[in-house]
Amino acid sequence: MRSFNFFAALIAAAAVLYASFAGAGPLPALGPAFNPSTGAWTMAADAAAVKSETLTIGGLQQPVRVTFEKDGTAHVVAQTDADLFLAVGYVHARFRLFQMDLMRRQGEGRLSEVVGKAAVDSDTFELQLGLLRTAQLEWSQADEVTRVALASYARGVNDRIDEAKRVNQLPVMFTLLGYQPQPWTPIDTLIVKGDMTQTLNFTDTPLVMELLDKSLGPELTASWFPVLPPNAQSPYDPGPYPGHTTVGPITAMRAVTDSEAATALALHDRLAALPPGLLATGGESNNWAVAGSKSASGGALLAGDPHLHLTLPSIWFQLTEDSPDYHTSGVSIPGTPVVLIGHNQHIGWSLTDAQNQQTFFYEEKEDGAHPNQYFWKGAWQTYTSVSYDIPVLSGQTKHLTVKLSTHGPVISARGLTTSVWWAGNVPSQDFEVLMRIGQASAFQGFRDALRDWHSPTHNFVYADDAGNIGMISAGYYPLVAKGQPWLPMPGTGDYDVTGTVPYDDIPQVYNPPDGIVWSANQRQVGPDYPYYIGTTSNFFDPGYRANEIHRVLSQDGKLSAADMMALQTDTRDFLASEITPVLLNALAGDALTSTELKARDLLTNWDFHMDTSSAAASIWWTFWEAYLAATFDPWWKSRNVMVDRAESTSTNANTQLNDSLGQDLEAWTLGDPTNPAFKLSGSAQNAQDVMRAAFHTAASSLGTTLGADPATWTWGRIHTRQLENLAQVAGLNYGPRADRGDGNTVLAAPDFPSAHGPSWRMVVDWGTHTFSGIYPGGQSENPASVWYENRVDMWWSGLYAPMLSAEEGASSPGAATWAMQP
Amino acid sequence: MRGSSGFVIALVVGAAVSVAGVLIGAWWLTFPAGLLIGLTLGQARLAIPAGALAGLVGWGLPLAIQQDRVGLGAAASSLAAILGSTGQPVVPVILTCVVGLLLGLTGAWLASAGRSLAAPTTS
Repeated sequence: MRSFNFFAALIAAAAVLYASFAGAGPLPALGPAFNPSTGAWTMAADAAAVKSETLTIGGLQQPVRVTFEKDGTAHVVAQTDADLFLAVGYVHARFRLFQMDLMRRQGEGRLSEVVGKAAVDSDTFELQLGLLRTAQLEWSQADEVTRVALASYARGVNDRIDEAKRVNQLPVMFTLLGYQPQPWTPIDTLIVKGDMTQTLNFTDTPLVMELLDKSLGPELTASWFPVLPPNAQSPYDPGPYPGHTTVGPITAMRAVTDSEAATALALHDRLAALPPGLLATGGESNNWAVAGSKSASGGALLAGDPHLHLTLPSIWFQLTEDSPDYHTSGVSIPGTPVVLIGHNQHIGWSLTDAQNQQTFFYEEKEDGAHPNQYFWKGAWQTYTSVSYDIPVLSGQTKHLTVKLSTHGPVISARGLTTSVWWAGNVPSQDFEVLMRIGQASAFQGFRDALRDWHSPTHNFVYADDAGNIGMISAGYYPLVAKGQPWLPMPGTGDYDVTGTVPYDDIPQVYNPPDGIVWSANQRQVGPDYPYYIGTTSNFFDPGYRANEIHRVLSQDGKLSAADMMALQTDTRDFLASEITPVLLNALAGDALTSTELKARDLLTNWDFHMDTSSAAASIWWTFWEAYLAATFDPWWKSRNVMVDRAESTSTNANTQLNDSLGQDLEAWTLGDPTNPAFKLSGSAQNAQDVMRAAFHTAASSLGTTLGADPATWTWGRIHTRQLENLAQVAGLNYGPRADRGDGNTVLAAPDFPSAHGPSWRMVVDWGTHTFSGIYPGGQSENPASVWYENRVDMWWSGLYAPMLSAEEGASSPGAATWAMQP
Repeated sequence: MRGSSGFVIALVVGAAVSVAGVLIGAWWLTFPAGLLIGLTLGQARLAIPAGALAGLVGWGLPLAIQQDRVGLGAAASSLAAILGSTGQPVVPVILTCVVGLLLGLTGAWLASAGRSLAAPTTS
């Protein structure tokens, strides 16, 4: 009996100690994780309100003052530039260290080290693609100013890491995942920049086009996914352009072989299975400017709202940076030292993604007689190779060898060996550019700085205190020697990327005669632009937001900052305003049920706004989806198309494909209603037949899901938005909550629920020198902090906070100040 | 050590060791504290409750102090969400206390059982 008791005690003690030291099931090691003094509970003290105090920070040359407004906005005032960036590093790490660590681990292929084998595919792909190699190259080529900035920033981050370890205040996720952050390096900062480039610019569209070509055939693919958009657009740079052409029209679509299609399908499926964010899946950002001559205040107006995955914590951290050479205010990305979107004393700027084709695939020619070689420019070349180790939590380290051809990394050896040329692998000294922008006082300095910006390509809007406005779509616009860059190309050397569109020829305008500039990811140029920059399937937006912005800004009368804010939260669906009258016309002679009659009447009286209380909004959206399905699904089925048309549950679903088809459908509905595409849909002969059928389907569908009375089919019942916790803890999400807008409105809210949209809204009025901004989230990643989601409600309501200067911030109610001493 | 005074002394010493361990990050000291209690008190009916209580106090007291100093409500809610128990902030509190309790309890039980095993049998 005693022995039994002893062994029972021994087993129980072993079990408890094991769970305490090593964890149990999904639980972390319970001892260190829940130790009240040094474990996860320390988040409570970390969440306490920032108070005024003196901090000793290693590496500072002079004292630095950091003031926090009540809402968490930070104002960093330093006496040297190096001290400025060091202090920014410390502040970022104080509030966003886990986010920063996650971002660098993603780009450096080191996620598996802390989350296990679930991240091995992601790590493998990232190391293949080469963010780490590019960051290392960029660091080796950086100028002295950049090196000082990044090194100082890293020192500040490391000061905080050391301090957090010393006082047991590492962010809670480190504690729960059971690891501690390694020292920060300048390479890490460049990796964070690479992450953003990848999420905005790395695409699989040539693979998609190849699969479409194989199944739909070259003729339909060329017709449905053209270089030039089939619908009416609002390019901000209407020309004139330089008069030469480099690439022929997409009507030169070639046929695709079985082995090419099989290779493309395998690679497409591999990319589609990667975690969200590794593949660009479309962009929905807005920016515009109004010249002083068209402004109510007499000064230029600027508005910018970059649309990104909406997360908690946000991608943004709001601050002002003041030192002898810098006086900038706006938002920065944690992990990087500079203001990315904002203003200085004389100019303001914001960004949208330019969407031009940045990714090109090459099928390398190989031969069994030449192992580890590829044929290029008439000779066999040996692949370069780079080896990596991928540590895996609770698993064996994975050894990875990446082969590199002259085009870039080999990312698929299944079927045909495929390498990828990606503009994100072209070294781009973005921080040097951003620091020069921060110091610019007029358009010339702004434009000169952007000359060295290569990736990601962005539409930089500009407005200054002298009433001037402009837009430059800065970045790398790859030119190929010949061939069809919208498809994977042979890697024999005849089709290589040979350079970029000259800087003077890229899309840009300065002080246009109508006094407005705007971008919303639309194709920036008109049909006469002589360079190939991508197809409709390569993420150029369908143009509805740009059209709506242009429509509003073009109206007579002066515009104010309040008008800018109203436009940023505008929910008028431009596509609906075009199509709904045609639909109503089609329904005029149709036999409708009483429910359908009510639904039709709701559409008749609709103002095309996608508001939560609008039943017509639900009817419109459901109709449009049904119209797309009725038109294209028969083709997809009959041709056995290998790529999903509709948005799917896959995080990397090619939603742009549906947008491209939507443009076709819009153009046919308005101008070519007897297009042969309609004739595969049952007995339909034209657009009106398919529209009527789609309307019946929509009414039936809504009746089934939302009840018999169309008046109750409000948009808010089917359309919600949520902000997603970055660590994928669902309980720390915000929402889902009914919200307005859709994928076509200026206030963008695509998907159901929508987790993508305006990640920062900023309005600048140089006439009154007022600056306003808001982002959904808060400055702290600590979910227990009052600064975790304190800005969400204001953002949701379309309100803005004043962007104060350091002096104004210091005297604002509830401000606290850190006096940093060397 | 016998009787209620022994129980109290063992409990206080064990709890003090446990609290000290928790405060300096050596959370595992709760287990040796339980062992100490078990070895000292011997009888399981005394040692096990004392060990459990010492562990509970060792982990619960620092938690209570933190609640008094900075408030744990938001942290408890957040930890509950991370643990998959959104809306039940009591879950991480209970989990924390249970970890301390079990460390003390099993330490005391093991020591008590070992001492009993080593003691000469009586017939």
